[in-house]
Amino acid sequence: MARMKFLCDADRCIECNACVTACKNEHEVPWGINRRRVVTLNDGKPGERSVSMACMHCTDAPCAAVCPVNCFYTTADAVVLHSKDLCIGCGYCFYACPFGAPQYPRVGNFGSRGKMDKCTYCSGGPEVDLSVAEYEKYGSNRLAEGKLPLCAEMCSTKSLLAGDGEMIAQIYKERVIKRGYGSGAWGWKTAYRETIAI
Amino acid sequence: MKAFLVAVAAAVVLATAASFLLAENQRFAYQAFATSGARVSDPGTNLVGPRWTGDIKEPASASHKMEAGS
Amino acid sequence: MRRLTSLLLLAATLALTAPAVAQVRAPDGAPNPTASSVNEEMLFKQDPKIHGRISIPNATAANLIQPQGREWREFRESWMPWIGGLAVLGMIAALGLFYFTRGRIRLEHSEESGKKILRFNSFERFSHWMTASCFIVLSLSGLNYIFGKRLLMPLIGPEAFATLAQYGKYAHIYLAWPFMLGVLFMLVLWVRDNIPGRIDWIWLKQGGGLLGDAHPSAGRFNAGQKMVFWMVVGFGLAMGATGIMMIFPFAATDINGMQVMQVIHSLIGVVFIAGILAHIYIGSLGMEGAYDAMGSGEVDLAWAKVHHDLWVKEQQAKTASGPQLGRGQVPAE
Repeated sequence: MARMKFLCDADRCIECNACVTACKNEHEVPWGINRRRVVTLNDGKPGERSVSMACMHCTDAPCAAVCPVNCFYTTADAVVLHSKDLCIGCGYCFYACPFGAPQYPRVGNFGSRGKMDKCTYCSGGPEVDLSVAEYEKYGSNRLAEGKLPLCAEMCSTKSLLAGDGEMIAQIYKERVIKRGYGSGAWGWKTAYRETIAI
Repeated sequence: MKAFLVAVAAAVVLATAASFLLAENQRFAYQAFATSGARVSDPGTNLVGPRWTGDIKEPASASHKMEAGS
Repeated sequence: MRRLTSLLLLAATLALTAPAVAQVRAPDGAPNPTASSVNEEMLFKQDPKIHGRISIPNATAANLIQPQGREWREFRESWMPWIGGLAVLGMIAALGLFYFTRGRIRLEHSEESGKKILRFNSFERFSHWMTASCFIVLSLSGLNYIFGKRLLMPLIGPEAFATLAQYGKYAHIYLAWPFMLGVLFMLVLWVRDNIPGRIDWIWLKQGGGLLGDAHPSAGRFNAGQKMVFWMVVGFGLAMGATGIMMIFPFAATDINGMQVMQVIHSLIGVVFIAGILAHIYIGSLGMEGAYDAMGSGEVDLAWAKVHHDLWVKEQQAKTASGPQLGRGQVPAE
């Protein structure tokens, strides 16, 4: 089985936010919730870089470890998903997540902020694949249709790569060798405890 | 015993009051994360349910596929 | 000679700075745009987390990477179950040991047995029990965050456990408010009688009557009770402060601040639970006659004279309309 990962080639990202928009539209993500976002570092200064970030589907995911109701599970493709039926909205996953992926429908206080929502790697949730219930709770399931996450598929500069970790790492390596530079795979060390050595 | 029962009752009453106050203070993500320029008519209920709790009890009135088709 | 030195210096400076100024070029000769760009390693050297700018109004989303989440997880999953288990089970074991070696501290009868003296009025008892009942629910629902998935979930299944945990969470958030109010009430009611003094030192040196058979004199509260009072007030306020910071996310602190708050909240929480277990023991099973103080509010005069002699003297010095009740008199309650 593949080990699905995201890789954002910051040297190609032009902060167009197409990945954010694609995600929003594909899953009909409500207002205020952002499964994916683009963060600009060193904004307005020389050497500025933008990185598109969502749930990285970590190896040995911290969110899954700290969840007090064990609502997380990892699929055969190593995608980290969760069950909204079990989630109690405690917010511990948000404390543990290195990438700020968990989102909540209400934000004022902890008591009743609702069920957590996060990037599903376009692969739905524990419900039956491609069912209405799955769509309403987790969004569309592109993986079940044999497609990759829409954010990466739509990326205009092919900065955001999604797919099997080794394959996207290979693509990135080839790029770096060809063009002669690369600022590395952002977040990989934190998420997967590995970097891409070139 | 009477003091104990009154205390438990008071705790429940105060907790209920706190729950209402906290619910009052609660803000939807679409309110908190909208700028003054945004006019949010329908923030959308997909992924979070019509009552913003996530558990969808009622059958879906119209699936997204139907909406897309209409 | 001096000119030569300065020239040499200039040359050395140029030689040192030259590689940084020169552009690193790609194999095809194009300039390397990453030569001056930010990279993860460099940013982590500047700051423990990577923070940028974001175009959506959710300002907290501007945090790109916070590896501290991994450390917090390490604490919560590897340390906390052991610390919590040791604190709670250790205290239960210690109390069991104490009970089986020392036994129940019996009421010593005297000619004044049967007479009652009012120890806590109804408002004092109300404040105590409001705090206490909230504390029981708060501690159980709090322990559920740590031990629920390990102990309860395998027994009742994930769905039932998730429902229970959901109600536990609501109870934890909402009962926190009457709990904090109760702590404040008790602070106001009893702080006057809980100022530590020289008498407490003597009480402690004599083992407080727990370890020996001595009955060191004490005022309204002995040193042990004063310690419980200050523990409840101190820990109660600390739990309240850290809890409020977590109830209102990002209101007072950022993500790392909330992680620290959770660590403090859970550490104090388990120590607090252990302390209150000892308090419950000595107030009920551990000492005959002690429970009445919070039960009916009136304690046996013989018990009071043994354990709180100075307080009884003070009460009896007051007028006959004081809080003493005669034998057989029906309490006002």
